[in-house]
Amino acid sequence: MSVFSSGQSIRQALTSPRGTRGQRVLMAVLVGVCYVLGFLYHLMLWQTGQPATPALAWAYHAVITIGFGMAWYLLYQYIRVRYGSPAKVFWTTLLLGIFLLGIASLMSNIGAPGGIYLDVPLSLLTVVQLNLISLGAVAFGLLLLIQLRQLVLFKRTKSSQRNWYLMLGLILFTSVTALWVEPGAAEIILLIPAIVLITINAFRLSWIVYLSFKEKMVVSGLSLLLFILLLVGFAGLTDTDDAIMAGDLLSYYSPMLHTFTVLAFLFGILYCATSLLSLIFHLPTTTDFQRKAGEMAAMQSLTRLVSQVFDAETLYSTITSSPIEASLANTAWLVIPEVRDGAIRSRIVAATNTTPAFLNEVLDAKALYDEVTSSRETLHLPQAPADHRVAARPGDGIGSLIGIPLIARDRPMGVLFASKEVSMGFEDDDIDALKVFAAQASIALDNAHLFKEQLDKERLSRELDIAREVQQKLLPQALPRVDGATVAASSVSAQEVGGDYYDVAQVDEQRTAFIVGDVSGKGTSAAFYMAELQGIFHAVSRLAPSPVDFLSEANRALSGSLDRNVFISAVYGLLDVEKEELVLARAGHCPVATINLQGEARFVRSRGMGLGLDRGQLFRHALAEERIPLQPGDVFVLYTDGIVESRNADDEEYGYDRLLDALKEHRHEDATDLHRVLIDDLQRFTGHDYYDDDMTLLVLKWHGINLSGSLHSVAAVPYGQKRADVGVPELALPAE
Amino acid sequence: MSNFSVGFRTHGAVQMLDLNGELDAHTAPELEAAIEKCRDEQQYSLIINGAALQYISSAGLGVFMAYIEEMREAGGDIKIAALQPKVFNVFDLLGFPLLFDIVDDEAEALERFDNAPS
Repeated sequence: MSVFSSGQSIRQALTSPRGTRGQRVLMAVLVGVCYVLGFLYHLMLWQTGQPATPALAWAYHAVITIGFGMAWYLLYQYIRVRYGSPAKVFWTTLLLGIFLLGIASLMSNIGAPGGIYLDVPLSLLTVVQLNLISLGAVAFGLLLLIQLRQLVLFKRTKSSQRNWYLMLGLILFTSVTALWVEPGAAEIILLIPAIVLITINAFRLSWIVYLSFKEKMVVSGLSLLLFILLLVGFAGLTDTDDAIMAGDLLSYYSPMLHTFTVLAFLFGILYCATSLLSLIFHLPTTTDFQRKAGEMAAMQSLTRLVSQVFDAETLYSTITSSPIEASLANTAWLVIPEVRDGAIRSRIVAATNTTPAFLNEVLDAKALYDEVTSSRETLHLPQAPADHRVAARPGDGIGSLIGIPLIARDRPMGVLFASKEVSMGFEDDDIDALKVFAAQASIALDNAHLFKEQLDKERLSRELDIAREVQQKLLPQALPRVDGATVAASSVSAQEVGGDYYDVAQVDEQRTAFIVGDVSGKGTSAAFYMAELQGIFHAVSRLAPSPVDFLSEANRALSGSLDRNVFISAVYGLLDVEKEELVLARAGHCPVATINLQGEARFVRSRGMGLGLDRGQLFRHALAEERIPLQPGDVFVLYTDGIVESRNADDEEYGYDRLLDALKEHRHEDATDLHRVLIDDLQRFTGHDYYDDDMTLLVLKWHGINLSGSLHSVAAVPYGQKRADVGVPELALPAE
Repeated sequence: MSNFSVGFRTHGAVQMLDLNGELDAHTAPELEAAIEKCRDEQQYSLIINGAALQYISSAGLGVFMAYIEEMREAGGDIKIAALQPKVFNVFDLLGFPLLFDIVDDEAEALERFDNAPS
């Protein structure tokens, strides 16, 4: 049914222009006029009792031929858009046939027919009978051809269409010749081509296979009835008894229409006969065919389903349950490769009507998987128990087995296995259907993987964004004001988060502590330790502000949490504005670069080891403080190794000397400008503005006098931007 | 595209590891694997020859920290020899000479193994 209704919509869409409604009404009127003219012609003959002149007779034939020709066209246009199921075609044809042939039959049985003598009707009744019988019979012949056309041309091919039109052409040709050819041998010879084509067209029965069992029963009954009706009609049209019969009247009305109708009936009879027989022969296979069609439909809808599932587990179980739901197999399981313990291993991720444990017991799932994956061909074991990799016994439900590789974008996604209880259970078309499904399933698996990867990537990127924001808050947003000094600092990381840290905190009214630290390694783990160091700095610097005390406490606190292979280098300073003194201690960190107003520069390389390297007393013993009395113009530059180890295109390191040179040249600038020119100098050297390592730079300049707020600097440069995102670090506005 | 490699040599009971190239966060796992291999073969006396080591990052230094305790507990040691000045500077800044025997050449390192109280 669905096949026909979808055909209908296409037909309607493609229906060619059929003229306007007015044209069709006009044509219908003309048909009526032609028919009435024919009627009047016979009345005239009856009235006058004289045969018509040849000219008049030709005019009469021309008029009724045109009339019925137009009637055919109108009926065709009317019916072609009303496509129906085969049952409907037979049903309507049968009803119209009973009606039209009923009129003809009724007419031929009313009263005593007067007959026709010398081409002249003998009574008025004969004239009426003549016209009505002809109308009924010819109309039915036309209807028959129009209706059966739908069935013959169902699923048309080029040749079936050609055969149909050839048959119509031959029927018309044979009919026209009947106007001249006398009944006899010549007429029969002329009939032969038409009959051959009629026979060929009578075997166009493709619509039958699409019918359900019930529909086939109904249609075979209807075709039988139509067959009988047509036989009766045909007998009436062709009998050669002496008595005046319908056939004789039609033949008198128009030999052409008579031949046409006879041939149309003949086609109808043959078509009903072949339909009936074919329907009866097809009845037993209907269930199989329906089952197959059902399987295909199920497979199709499941195929649609798998393409909509993105959750891997759901997808796996959908893939294995589909062949069972489509009755293509009794059990199915899916094996996919997974990376586990650094190696690719296959695993049964889903099984329907069976369990992975049972399968591993009765067959070597891995060996089967490996074979299908390496050959990339479908593996079909019609007698599975005979295979050495299958240890299943007859009761285990694995009589025949099939393994289909799932391949997407030329990569193996897994193998879909299906089995049937019986041996030789998979027919070729089952395998084909499974393959089609497997192809869809591969794409769905691939999509699901891509989807998951994308999801993971997005989640990771979101989490790293959060981590970056959090880390940014751990760095000072604004530096505290230090009387008599300016401070500028910035930090960038090579990845989203980094292990560099700097901070400045006011310990009391006269002392300010500052720190630059570098956690070994990069990325997330370094970021966590950096966060820990931040906590320690803010908590401990107030309680134990002296460098040795602070760093020893920090080492003690960090020792408990640092991994054995992780350590932190740090440099810590305490600035006392009253004493005009700076005390520095270096826990394994890059030495502080310092320069005075006269341009005497050096690195402050006091003794000390990295935080976390020693967890006992050695750390404190190794640590030495350096006290530096401050002179106005003194500059201290604290940095991480990312600065001095930055490389240019020639793989040269920026190095300590360049840092000192730049410092000498620009030592008269205040901290903010000095910070900027140092970064500029570094970028000029490397030739790029991204960073391979975390980089932190803190510049402290002692002016010695209490400067107004406007000269106070500074702070934070965006921390934790990805490499390549970061241009020249911009300094935040001076803190108030 | 690793620009780091480890070569193995043995000298009596001492295992020599020749480091070549740049030891950073990406190549550190290779050194880890090499030291783990020695440990699995119960070779606890290691000499790291740094003559061909061009660069070391903090992550590279971490590898030595990760295994030193274990080696010493097993009666062995990790001694570092023949570092280039620039690489030695990195060790030195972090205070590694306080924790490790860092010597000028292999012979000296071997000598120290021999003299070590067993």
